[in-house]
Amino acid sequence: MSPSSPVASASADDEASTSDAAGSPPVVRATDVTKRYTRGSEPGRLGKLLGRSEPPRVSALENVSIAIEAGEIVGLAGPSGSGKSTLLHLLAGLELPTGGTVTFQGTDLETLSRRRRTRLRLEHVGIVFQHFHLLESLSARANVALPLVELGVGKRERRRRATQLLERMGLGDRIDHRPGELSGGEQQRVAIARALVTDPTLVVADEPTGELDTETGRRILDEFERIAEDRAVVLASHDRPTLEIADRLVRLKDGTVREDGHR
Amino acid sequence: MGAPIAALKRWLARLRVAAAVTVGQLRHHRLRLGLAIVGIALAVLSMTLLAGVGMGVLETGEQQFEAADRDLWVTTGETRLTTAGGGGFENVLSDSRNVSAEMESHEDVSTAAPLAFETVYVGTDPDDDFQTFVGTGVPGSGSVVQISEGEDLSGDPHYADGSYDGERTNEVLIDEETARALDVEVGETVHVGGSLAAARNTEATVVGISPTFEQMLGAPTVVMPLSELHQTTSTTHTEPATFITLTLEDGADTDAVQSDLQETYPEYEIRSNQEQLEAVLQEQALVLAAGGALVVLSLGVGIALSYTLLTLVVFQQRTAVAALTAQGVSSSLLVASIVGQGLAIGLVGGLLGVALTPPAVDLLNRLAAAVVGFDGLVQTDPRFLVGAFVVAIGIGTIAAALAGWRLSRTPPLEHL
Repeated sequence: MSPSSPVASASADDEASTSDAAGSPPVVRATDVTKRYTRGSEPGRLGKLLGRSEPPRVSALENVSIAIEAGEIVGLAGPSGSGKSTLLHLLAGLELPTGGTVTFQGTDLETLSRRRRTRLRLEHVGIVFQHFHLLESLSARANVALPLVELGVGKRERRRRATQLLERMGLGDRIDHRPGELSGGEQQRVAIARALVTDPTLVVADEPTGELDTETGRRILDEFERIAEDRAVVLASHDRPTLEIADRLVRLKDGTVREDGHR
Repeated sequence: MGAPIAALKRWLARLRVAAAVTVGQLRHHRLRLGLAIVGIALAVLSMTLLAGVGMGVLETGEQQFEAADRDLWVTTGETRLTTAGGGGFENVLSDSRNVSAEMESHEDVSTAAPLAFETVYVGTDPDDDFQTFVGTGVPGSGSVVQISEGEDLSGDPHYADGSYDGERTNEVLIDEETARALDVEVGETVHVGGSLAAARNTEATVVGISPTFEQMLGAPTVVMPLSELHQTTSTTHTEPATFITLTLEDGADTDAVQSDLQETYPEYEIRSNQEQLEAVLQEQALVLAAGGALVVLSLGVGIALSYTLLTLVVFQQRTAVAALTAQGVSSSLLVASIVGQGLAIGLVGGLLGVALTPPAVDLLNRLAAAVVGFDGLVQTDPRFLVGAFVVAIGIGTIAAALAGWRLSRTPPLEHL
């Protein structure tokens, strides 16, 4: 389902310039990435006239480089404020770096419009949130099927794929239930199914077991191990069991990579 | 040819899904939906009622001028409302008796009646407190008032061709509000005068109940023969009146008589019922400004309330929208779903507001009739109902679209 290039209209020159010399590029690559946030709002003209100073800028990431291949489960570890979530968001194309580049299958995300980055996420990135963020008014199946509407998939096919995924997640008997009628673990499995329904190349998850008890968390991690066979998975977590399923662990501290190694 | 059809099909599919999401969101958040609908209905009600009051003031004035059964009104320019005493109009037309008599000599004028409004003191016991009312002086000839109970005044013999030595009738007509305020009935005696001293020494009998001038002025009134009003207010030397009202002969051309009289009496303003009402209102800049402000306010309130409510409804879904945007769901699908909610809430809330308008108008009119004596003060006009309904739907939809669009443009991480 995934095309070879994430953005059909990206120019060949662009791709050539960012492709890996050895062959196909990694699923996603961050090169010398820096991310700074402004704390508070910039002063307007009146604010400047009144002598309001520029708001302080906070550095979340400094010169981080990382490349992630298909089939890898990468764990992002580190204390709060170390930059895990920021790196995860940059890799998923949810935001752009202040410095450096993030390329997705060879395409520099900075060259894409907001709309095309949204389309790239739809087709190539699955995102799992700590708080699930399902639409409360829709059934589990409708939640899972929703992204397929954007891809122009017919109703019957949407229902079939969503049902199949939910059955694979062990929720075959819960497909018509709304999120409020499901347990936390069940909701997270619905969220994973939603992330996978477009058959993405990259799945990112931020504290995917943060809201779950140990047993339920273990089952969710099994799902991640299963889906990682043919795609890249990036997990940001404080949780040791979650990080233990990673093939490769990247430790961050104060916005820099302190350790990056296979296990 | 196939590509556009496929694109159209995709769009239709997205619209169907947007509609399904809309229905799902509305059904799931019933309390929020109910409150939003009630809020929009109240916005519609505020628009229709405020506009209805503005229109009602004008229409009631028109009706009262029509009900006075006069064809032309003569004034000396300004016809100012006064706040002195019980209210009413300032009396600026002097020598009203003679002017009336001259005008009545016109072949097409049936009767010419001067009307004067003065503040008078009225009480039931000379040793008790007195209250102020609008004392209305009416001439002896020509039917001027409607009687709902009792009898009309027997005439104005005290005038006696300007000598003021004829017998006083000591009769008054009161309206229901005055009757309540004084706790008197037809046949009972009151003390009335232009000063407290005069009132203590002047007894009059309530011979009937008349709503005519209470409805015209919107204040409780005491009607008495014109000469007796002039005497008790010590104005017999100038015989002032607020208006001279003219009733024309059957078949007379009102415009022609108005034009003819205006030419003969250039120092006076001679107006039709409608012109007189407009003249009275136009001179009341404050009243007009307040009325205009009410209409603008009604629209502003309706728009602000509708916009705020729908923005709030959309804002409450920010997390869900952000999560879907993060997943790659496009702005158009999300905005379509949110616009659908705005349209549905505006439609149902608008219909409810329109449906509630007639009973609310009825209730307000009952209150107004009981408190100030005006009947039909608040009017319903289909144009107001349609206008308010359109505002509810239009603003509801626009507010939802704007809020949805802004939400879809906001980086999703801000809400996650």
